[in-house]
Amino acid sequence: MGATVKRLRSGRLRQWLPLATLLLLVGLVGAFQPGFLRPSTLLQMAGDTAVLFVLATGVTFVIMLGGIDLSLQSMASLASVIVALTIARLGYSAFALAIGVGALAGLISGLAHVRLRIPSFIATLAMSGVQSSAALVLSHERSITLQLADRNYQSWITGTVLGVPSVIVIGLIVLLVAHVLQSLTPFGRYSAAIGAGEPAAYASGIKVDRQKIFAYVLSAGFAALAGVMLAGRLASGSPTLAAEMLLPSIAAVVVGGTAITGGVGSIWRTLIGALIISVVRIGMTFLGVNIFAQNIVFGAVLIGAVAITIDRSKIPIVK
Amino acid sequence: MSSDPIGSALSLVGVDKRFPGVHALKNVSIEIRRGEVVGLIGENGAGKSTLMKILSGVYQPDSGEILIAGQPTTLVDAADANRKGIGMVFQEQSLLTNLTIGENLYLGNEAQFTRFGIIDWPSLYAAAARQLEKVQVDADPRARVDELDFASRQMVELAKALTLEELAAGHLVILLDEPSSVLERAEIDVLFARVRALKSRASFIFVSHRLDEVLELSDRIYVMKDGAVVADLSAADANAMQLHHLMVGRSLQAEYYREPLQKPFKDEVLLEVDGLSLEHAYREVTFKLHAGQILGIAGVIGSGREELTRSLSGFLPHDKGRLVIGGREARLATPAQAVDLGIGYIPRERRVEGLVLFLSVAANITLAALGSLTSYGLIKADAERRVATRWVERLTIRTPTIETLCLNLSGGNQQKVVLAKWLNAKARILILDHPTRGLDVGAKEEVYEIVRAVTTQGLAVILTSDTLEETIGLSHSVLVMRDGRITHRADAAPGRKPSQVDLIRYMV
Repeated sequence: MGATVKRLRSGRLRQWLPLATLLLLVGLVGAFQPGFLRPSTLLQMAGDTAVLFVLATGVTFVIMLGGIDLSLQSMASLASVIVALTIARLGYSAFALAIGVGALAGLISGLAHVRLRIPSFIATLAMSGVQSSAALVLSHERSITLQLADRNYQSWITGTVLGVPSVIVIGLIVLLVAHVLQSLTPFGRYSAAIGAGEPAAYASGIKVDRQKIFAYVLSAGFAALAGVMLAGRLASGSPTLAAEMLLPSIAAVVVGGTAITGGVGSIWRTLIGALIISVVRIGMTFLGVNIFAQNIVFGAVLIGAVAITIDRSKIPIVK
Repeated sequence: MSSDPIGSALSLVGVDKRFPGVHALKNVSIEIRRGEVVGLIGENGAGKSTLMKILSGVYQPDSGEILIAGQPTTLVDAADANRKGIGMVFQEQSLLTNLTIGENLYLGNEAQFTRFGIIDWPSLYAAAARQLEKVQVDADPRARVDELDFASRQMVELAKALTLEELAAGHLVILLDEPSSVLERAEIDVLFARVRALKSRASFIFVSHRLDEVLELSDRIYVMKDGAVVADLSAADANAMQLHHLMVGRSLQAEYYREPLQKPFKDEVLLEVDGLSLEHAYREVTFKLHAGQILGIAGVIGSGREELTRSLSGFLPHDKGRLVIGGREARLATPAQAVDLGIGYIPRERRVEGLVLFLSVAANITLAALGSLTSYGLIKADAERRVATRWVERLTIRTPTIETLCLNLSGGNQQKVVLAKWLNAKARILILDHPTRGLDVGAKEEVYEIVRAVTTQGLAVILTSDTLEETIGLSHSVLVMRDGRITHRADAAPGRKPSQVDLIRYMV
């Protein structure tokens, strides 16, 4: 076992492991349940993956820098509540408000992490508590169903574009934006540099704090967008709407092959990771696994993926 | 030298140790007699720390013998060395400051006080009090270490080493690795007095950069150079200058440092430092740095030159005096501010602060000036590739492709990538902090060549170096620092280079 893990951790093989895993899983599920491979089913799965992918995309930026964001699920829930409460009055501006609140929350987490020198998991864990409570208080601890009249505003989420569900289109736009940010801008380059070697990045004159804060803004902003998408799909806002999504989102990033220690990774890997998580989820549904037991599997998957992707020679002591 | 097994506490005979690319110890033989304090000196990289690690069981020699009281032995690991009576007092203090003195003294050796898994604290603290008595520290063993001053902590370290008396059968040998570097003079006197008083119980090996202290404390001194012992002197017959000469031991070779390429510098002042001070580091430092000038700063550890270079590169802001860069007064709070003012820092920790090892050669070269390669916020990939390729060619960086990770480059080529990064960022002042550390001779010469070429083009360089020879050989002018102050300024024009002896007298 140890030797296998070691071999997987080294070499070129590791790079293709996530994609191979995805294809294998699709093949497996398809073999047991031929209906799964029909284009309509695959399209349905892609739609279901979109929200998870948007959440995972945001946190990818933070993980690339070597940090973590534990507030994304409560941010998404809060965003859904904000949309549900304000859409009647604000119309489309409700979405902008929700995403703006997300960006602000990310800014605060980022500032707390960077300026007060608080570890990111503490800063975002605290922010998560604030967001959960805010969502509970604002919604009076209820799920808020959208009025029929207000659902028109949601058509950009619930509709289709040329036969393709809109959520997939939104997911693809997020993919494009994130890819550009990561691969083509100085921010993306600096993120990789900071994640892989912060002292060298700092000594090279990179404004490390600024890059980090921006990453937290992106993470919370994308989480809010995911919450908006959820509110549209479920036609409601709820303080617990995304409660179970933290673990699958981080698992998606890491399963895709982005190192939890930072520096190595990409949005494409996160896409593959999110698809793997979706296929596993569907596979479990076919196998009749209780939906509430699914996070047991994702927890195990997360541990396994970190064990394979982490380079322990770089970190002798893990805290 | 005595080979009397009764008098010999510990000796190494013909010890050899190689690491990939480095012959760290070459046929080293030393002997420590009972009750003797032996000094061990040498430049960085001379092999002292490898030797100490072999003596404390951390490394195994490739060949040669270790003898304790004349009997051949092996030291499997640090615990084994401890059991055989070899203790170590570390230069970075190894005490855990959140634990009590007593807990520290017996850390890892609590078994003697433990019954059924429960520690008998009263007896541990009673034993600890007896240990403190040996080193005459007047402190409560139940006090936490962070309540002690540095000198007392050093004494507690010594007491910890002496607890080996209870574990080990024979005579103790205690390795003192730079114990005095964090201490004030009065504290050093106390430490030395204790060491002398303990000579009946133990022998000592004393490693230090401070030659005067080595002369003061030691009975005998070994000098190491390039992995070999080059001298074994009685301290009574030696003096600091002679020791330094033995440590350095090379005559200047003009050609090696490209002296014929050393052109007179220009009148334009790029950096002016006036009465610059930082508490506990350096005081009243004043100099001017001109375009085309290489200014070497010489000084031993603790002279303040390390902190001065860190201040000039933005890591450690000064607290008094004026710093004028390119005609504007500045206080550098972050490296980013220094970079904006045209200062590039080439750190001694190349693999930590110099390069992002897991990024490509191209990404590292453009890292400090990525803004100039963007349009509408996007990096122009073509332009980046062209820039990186040009620097790889210009500095003859040997790499398979510009997309190769810096991790896979040799030390010399890594250093050239760091230089390319700053030249690409159009830095006007380069701060070279031990730029040739760990490089082989060929790579060093290439670095010298590049430094000469860029200064001819008008860049200014501040240089601190592992060897005095390199400082003198490369520089136009040399500042000598001691205890935070400039003690001497020397002109180092080609043909009129000062000798090392001229400068050493101002260093020690």
